[in-house]
Amino acid sequence: MKRVLSNKWSIAVFVLPTVLFFTYIVIIPICKSFYYSLLSEIPAKVGDQSEFVWFDNYIKMFTPGRRNDFPGAVLNSLKYAALSVFVQLPFSLLISLILANGIKGESLYRNVFFIPVVISSVVISLLWQRIYKDLVPAIYEILSLDLPKNGFLANKDTKMMAVFLPSLWQFVGYHMLLMYGALKSIPTDIIEAATVDGAGGVRMALRIQIPMIKPMLKVCLSFSLIGSFKLFDTPWILLERANKQLPALSMYVEMFSNHKYSYASAQAMFIVFECLAFTVLLNMLFKDRDGIVSKKGRRRLSA
Amino acid sequence: MKKLVALLMALAMLLSMTAAFAEDEVVTLKVSSIWSAETEANRKPMLKTIEEFEAAYPNIKLEIEWFEANSWKETGETLALSDSLPDVFYWNAGGVLWNLVSSGDILALDEYLTDEIMARMEPGLLADMTFTVNGEEHVYQLPYTKAASMLYCNTELFDKYSVKIPETWEELITAIETFKANGVTPMTVGGADQWPTNMYTDIIALRFAGDEACRAAYYKTEGATFMTQDWIDGMAAFKQLIDLGAFPEDAASLTRDESEVAYFAGEIPMYVHGQWFSGSLSPEMQQKVVAVKFPAVGRGYDNQYMGGAAEGFTVAAYTEHPQEAFIAAQFFAENLSKNGYISGAGLPAWKYDFSEYTDLNPVMAQIKEATSTADSMLLWGNTALTGEDATLIGQTVYEVLTGELTPEQWCEDMETIFE
Repeated sequence: MKRVLSNKWSIAVFVLPTVLFFTYIVIIPICKSFYYSLLSEIPAKVGDQSEFVWFDNYIKMFTPGRRNDFPGAVLNSLKYAALSVFVQLPFSLLISLILANGIKGESLYRNVFFIPVVISSVVISLLWQRIYKDLVPAIYEILSLDLPKNGFLANKDTKMMAVFLPSLWQFVGYHMLLMYGALKSIPTDIIEAATVDGAGGVRMALRIQIPMIKPMLKVCLSFSLIGSFKLFDTPWILLERANKQLPALSMYVEMFSNHKYSYASAQAMFIVFECLAFTVLLNMLFKDRDGIVSKKGRRRLSA
Repeated sequence: MKKLVALLMALAMLLSMTAAFAEDEVVTLKVSSIWSAETEANRKPMLKTIEEFEAAYPNIKLEIEWFEANSWKETGETLALSDSLPDVFYWNAGGVLWNLVSSGDILALDEYLTDEIMARMEPGLLADMTFTVNGEEHVYQLPYTKAASMLYCNTELFDKYSVKIPETWEELITAIETFKANGVTPMTVGGADQWPTNMYTDIIALRFAGDEACRAAYYKTEGATFMTQDWIDGMAAFKQLIDLGAFPEDAASLTRDESEVAYFAGEIPMYVHGQWFSGSLSPEMQQKVVAVKFPAVGRGYDNQYMGGAAEGFTVAAYTEHPQEAFIAAQFFAENLSKNGYISGAGLPAWKYDFSEYTDLNPVMAQIKEATSTADSMLLWGNTALTGEDATLIGQTVYEVLTGELTPEQWCEDMETIFE
């Protein structure tokens, strides 16, 4: 087996089906979308009548106009990404640290936090729809407070936050479980050694546990950022029809309601590039940090 | 000689067997229909129509897929991209139909439409189902109903608060104010779905600007414009209703279904909606509700209606069985027209003698009566307009409802469709 796996040709044969499949369902559609995004606004079905407009669709996306809301949609997705990174992930980390350090009912809490992840986003959205439309107004009435004009889901100042909240809540459990798994895999002798050296809960978390699960934090950060840029289902259900307040929603409306296939393809390509750019950025950021840590470590060793 | 007779007999047997097999050859048609929910007014009539079709054409097997209206519109448009629309399907007329006709997805029905079939159809209903492609005019859809926007008034609430059913704009305002003063929400609308709000704005704009100006704008005729005082007045009148508190406070976040719950419960006195709504009324509600013409504003357009033939059945251009698909589409259109009217779901688009039916939906009968003397019928803006223009009219009307756009800004935004 070892001899087979050391042969590059054998590896190529084993990997080939996956590479072909991946190329067919991911690479080729991306390339095709890029090609469509360079065409004029003519339905893709009559492609023979289309003409190359090169990057006009990309320029149009970011040209200020009264009804061009794509820059606003991108800004909204960045706000959601910031909330995911600075609120959702720290909260998930906090819960995972509490659970991993052993509390009574650890497994029950772990499962309860994970339940929203296994429920379909559609169900979650409908659940929150009822919260916003029935429960929250009832609470406001009891407290004699004024609801925002048109309700939380139709008020322009509250609607985006009302949409972000269910998604943030839903995936806390997902990140929590990933971090919890990583925390549990830290060798017990390291934890014991730190305890012997007098490290308490906070110091243990900051100096031992969090640095040791850094690769998993990077994974969570990537998932969280990419998920933010692609957010679609919850706002689609919760907000009014044909709204374009997030990039994925805008792309869908341009494609299927407005029939601007080329323009929608340009928006799709923007989402792809945005996800790629942030993934690369994240890799660079963590690589640099890894580099700094290892250099420091080497210096300490040589000293 | 014997051999010859035997040969002929064998040949005759073979031929009759072939004929028998040919007779039994079953063609399968894929059909997509809306009205997936049991509560939809057209659900039962459509099921009855399918039953009648299966009895009449045993050699045509139907594979039916049911959808919710909005979801079918999106699914249908997605299927069209990959030439995979079903053989026969429900679709809207006007701009929505043109989207699929222009991309070559819909079969022209002219060669199958005989004079005898045309004579059975109500006249003048094919205007929004006929398009010119490559210089030739073709019919692409067959209507099963004639639509009309009406004002549905709950007489129980009108009587309770001694309010007159409004015939003029002033009476409408008085009615709204009286109901508000008594703690009753006067009207309802499902703002989140956008198109129910268009029902209000379209009919109000029609009263202020008239059929000619609205038709020109919705069909983007040369010289048409939204930048006239009539359009601004129309949208300002709609804004007046909002400012008076005619709609529920959270109307903009309600879907159509949610918005209608209070009406069905007898808590809301007025609702502007299409004729199909009368089919959703329970038998008890049918006795309480009257459907009347939207109030007059005195600009000379008071007997005009929003509606016309807005929905029908179409055949995919790439169907393998065009003849059978046409038979099914035509049968669905004609029989659903009959069954829909009998059950109170819609106005008939085909001629039929209903005199033997004595228990027809009284609200639908009122609509049939009222629209029979209509000066004109105009398709709704979001159906007549296409693609991003249709999305825009929905979005902008929603923004007027939420207070983000003024009537003037609405007109300015809509004017961009002519650029």
